Amino acid sequence: MNRRRVLTLMVSVVAMALAAACGGGSGQTITVVIAEYSKDHTKPFWQGLAEQYTKQNNVKVDLRVIDWNSIDQQVSTMIQNNQRPDVLNLNSFSSYAKDGLLYSATEVLSPKTKDDFLEPFLRGGEYQGALYGFPILSSARAFFYNRDLLTKAGVAGPPKTWDEFVDAAKKIQATGAIGYALPLGPEEAQAEWAIWMWNNGGEWKNAEAWAINSDKNVQTLSFLADLANKQKVTQVNPGKTNRTDGAFQLFKDGKVGMVMGFSPLAAQLDKEGKVSYGVAEMPTNTGKSVTLGVEDYLMAFKKKDNQDAVKKFLDLYYQPENITRWITAEGFLPVTKSGLQQMSGDAKLKPYLDALPNARLAPTTDPAWDKVKVDVQQNIGLAVQPGGNPKEVLDQLQKNAQAASGR
Amino acid sequence: MLLIVAVVLYPAIALVRASLARYSITGLYGGFVGLQNYARLLEQPALPTVVANTAVWVVTVVAVTVVISLGLAEFLNQRFPGRRFVRWALIVPWAASLVMTAKLFVWIYDYYFGILNHALVRLGVLAAPVDWLGEDATVMGAMIAVGIFVSLPFTTYVVLAGLAGIPDDVYEAARVDGASRWRTYRSVTLPLLRPALAVAVVLNVIYVFNSFPIVWTLNDRNPGFGHDTLITYMYKIAFKSAVRDVGLAAALGLVNVLMILVAVVVYLRTVPWREVEA
Repeated sequence: MNRRRVLTLMVSVVAMALAAACGGGSGQTITVVIAEYSKDHTKPFWQGLAEQYTKQNNVKVDLRVIDWNSIDQQVSTMIQNNQRPDVLNLNSFSSYAKDGLLYSATEVLSPKTKDDFLEPFLRGGEYQGALYGFPILSSARAFFYNRDLLTKAGVAGPPKTWDEFVDAAKKIQATGAIGYALPLGPEEAQAEWAIWMWNNGGEWKNAEAWAINSDKNVQTLSFLADLANKQKVTQVNPGKTNRTDGAFQLFKDGKVGMVMGFSPLAAQLDKEGKVSYGVAEMPTNTGKSVTLGVEDYLMAFKKKDNQDAVKKFLDLYYQPENITRWITAEGFLPVTKSGLQQMSGDAKLKPYLDALPNARLAPTTDPAWDKVKVDVQQNIGLAVQPGGNPKEVLDQLQKNAQAASGR
Repeated sequence: MLLIVAVVLYPAIALVRASLARYSITGLYGGFVGLQNYARLLEQPALPTVVANTAVWVVTVVAVTVVISLGLAEFLNQRFPGRRFVRWALIVPWAASLVMTAKLFVWIYDYYFGILNHALVRLGVLAAPVDWLGEDATVMGAMIAVGIFVSLPFTTYVVLAGLAGIPDDVYEAARVDGASRWRTYRSVTLPLLRPALAVAVVLNVIYVFNSFPIVWTLNDRNPGFGHDTLITYMYKIAFKSAVRDVGLAAALGLVNVLMILVAVVVYLRTVPWREVEA
């Protein structure tokens, strides 16, 4: 008698909980997943946008702002559980396009929006000829240097060539500070590596085939390993230092002469006001300085009956006043022609906006890039450890990349 | 019954199903592929290192924790002023979330900002700072130290409970027989603690084997898989390595569960842990 009553109670509680979860109110809900670019700006902006959207269209928004360290895992889990988002913001898109999960631009973007995108970013979002990854914002890296430490070491100005760079680093290291903070730990090693690689004339791919272990790249990685182990002008264990809590933190503390940074780092330095820094072009070994441009994407997942709702949401975001307001707040760079016009007056952004034409993007249009990116992140640091072997590490990365591409 | 099915059986079945399937990078289910994931698991080059790391991690943490706990429990069993306060203080490492504790230790161990280096260099113990979490030789030791730190409270309390269960007249008898303190401990206390020790060891082996936050947080900055245990390796296979294969990770997950089951059963069969006649 007792057991039966307890069982009935349990079943009814579970049933009520399920009903509450599924039924809810009338009307649609779309799930919007955004990466957390900053603690202060991301959630407020998107919350405001979601509220405006719901008022205009009577469609509810389930907004999730997820930090970069866990967003890949959470999105993968959502897809495994068949709980796909409707709108997703991520730094890669082509593997989702390859699996046929996304709407293309013709299905969910108004032609006005599509025409407003800057050319390189438009191309960076295409898969097999159609636009699936809609540019949401961009950033470009620049070369940061600590004015005081350079002056103290007797270095006239930021180095332009690799030889000048090594010279400057040695002089700074001799004064007791760290010459150059090199972050090749698993957080974002592929970004740091890409800049050095391009500035020596190397490439990720040669036409359609991976060229990770080309001679130029082996030379570059050996150069970085020597910086750490022979000339000893970097912080300790660069293969095990991450960007955010390692290299940037040390630079913000005034312990480092030179580092590769981007506009959010500049914003933080300005806020703290501790370090007198300058921003310059990347030192290059080929005579033409190249920097890394990063394009993040918005993408729309194909789900039953959500096309119209998603289209309206994207239209709302891409209205020039909305998109520029958010990009400016976060300290990033525009991806639209109208945005570029509006933001070109900002003096702080000038070095990055100037670098944009020379910025190269990672090969995000190749679905195998998702695997290659993580492989490089996880393993390239091993090459700069004492006893590390740059050629071996690059050979292994090349092998894995070819396997991932099926080539 | 509904609860058992929902909480235990369904996840287990989902795990087995995942380990027998192929998944795309995005997480999309790709179809049944039989035992292919298990075969690929054995081919992973990092597997032997990871298994060795896990063995060292589990054995060292559990063994050292049990030994220190025996001592700590004896100490806390004596009457002294402030005993209650010390007993309460012991709970703190256990109550704090593992991630918080691990993050705290990341900063303590940090090469440039950590207080450990600062203190040791000032005291003259070290000539120069050491990158505890960066140098290959010291990472494992650093992680084990934190593992022991967070396992001590639980183990000490289990042993304390065991000590409380030993009747006083046994000690009387030993004293009457003229046994020394150490002899008493070895021949009277320890055998009577066997059930408590068995509980402590089995539970600790399971917890430490499955421990994710400590290894993950402390090993976070290191590339490759050189210091991973089976649990963090499994996570990396699913989400963070070039493999990025949920099916392979599920296969490893199942292997982990079976491994820990076997270890516990073997332990309970070989070690005499049953109640000893006082």
